[in-house]
Amino acid sequence: MSKKAVEAVFEGLFILSDIRGILRETAPHHQFSPEEKILTAKNLEKLEKQVSILREELLA
Amino acid sequence: MNCGEGIETRLVEEMFINLDPIQAGGRLPVDAMKAVIAYGDGYSVCDNCEKPFRLDCIKKPPLAKFHDDLAVFLNMDVARLVPGARRGFQAVADTIVSKGDPVLLTAYSHYTEFLSVEQSGGEPFEIPANEKQIITADAVAAKIEEVTRATGKKPSLIFVEEVDYQYGNLHPVKKIASVAHQYDIPILCNGAYTVGVMPVQGKKLGVDFLVGSGHKSMAAPAPSGVLATTAEYADTLFRTTRIKGDLTGRTFGVKEVEMMGCTLMGVTSMGMMASFPHVQKRVLEYETHVARCNKIVDALCSINGTKVMSEYPRRHPLTRMNTSDSFDLVAKKHKKRGFFLHSALRERGITGIIAGSTKVWKFNPYGLTESQASYVAEMFVEIAEKEGI
Repeated sequence: MSKKAVEAVFEGLFILSDIRGILRETAPHHQFSPEEKILTAKNLEKLEKQVSILREELLA
Repeated sequence: MNCGEGIETRLVEEMFINLDPIQAGGRLPVDAMKAVIAYGDGYSVCDNCEKPFRLDCIKKPPLAKFHDDLAVFLNMDVARLVPGARRGFQAVADTIVSKGDPVLLTAYSHYTEFLSVEQSGGEPFEIPANEKQIITADAVAAKIEEVTRATGKKPSLIFVEEVDYQYGNLHPVKKIASVAHQYDIPILCNGAYTVGVMPVQGKKLGVDFLVGSGHKSMAAPAPSGVLATTAEYADTLFRTTRIKGDLTGRTFGVKEVEMMGCTLMGVTSMGMMASFPHVQKRVLEYETHVARCNKIVDALCSINGTKVMSEYPRRHPLTRMNTSDSFDLVAKKHKKRGFFLHSALRERGITGIIAGSTKVWKFNPYGLTESQASYVAEMFVEIAEKEGI
């Protein structure tokens, strides 16, 4: 049982939901403000971290 | 892209600005999306259900607290989650209305209010609106008198909408409730378009029952809603079962008859609860949303021949327009006929107006950001200019 992997799946999904929220607020053109770009970059960084955890926990 | 076999993924809210009149207040905030991911399984809230085994008593997740918080939020004494406002109407009518009772509804009552009266065996009588499409307290008093004279019975219940679905007009519920109580008639306020969108305080309005819709106005998945009442009616409305099986002798604890036991046992209650902090905050920003609606209405009314049929300035974002003398004139000559407006809006990333409608149509811009509202206003004018009106 890899609790770490399960949590990484949910964390990843939640981070993607945050990005989805920004897509909704900026529809239809999705032209991000500087703040939204910074926030999205941070979210993507966090998402990559969760993907790394999954690789390590499930594939190593 | 599919999200299941033969099920196309819904991208409407991500790809478009959606003006659909019934969808605006039910869009999920991010926290509710996360709750949907975590609690999508059937009886997902029941992991830690303990005696007395009832939804409103579950402590983990904190549904018991959520029920208490909802009652406070609505300024009522007791609240229950229900599978849509309609189930709230049904529970109240079943409790209060007896066969043959006259029941007052309004000219703008939702069909499910009528069906709840039909199911309980009541006789519906509609209160007319005035020339401004408002249900007045005087009209309610007159109807009570008229119905009582005609049937020999006083109405047993009055339904009134705080904001109606046809015009999105705000009706004087407080004055109407005062009249109802002068005749000693209980009153139900249908807050399907208000609870969760604007501040609503049941006791301030003076109503006996307050019903809200989770999926229409509380940023929650469907079917969800809330039914709240006062201490005076709580024990009657939320009476517990007394039935006993004749063979097995089984009884059913504290299950509430009108609720059919537990109501929202999974993703609906969790989505609603996750949205609640967002909903509490957004009702305080209501005037901002109304101002954004008025910006769009003003832009529409700047188009020659366009009229707003709802009360104006708008006091609620659900709005009925008449473009018979503007967009419909274009439709008569356009190669896409009545579909041109829907098509022109879609090309600009805007959706939610019924395809083919160019005469009388409704929209609801609730929840749009300032820049999205400005964009919608500009696009209506741009379409009109392009079509030469």
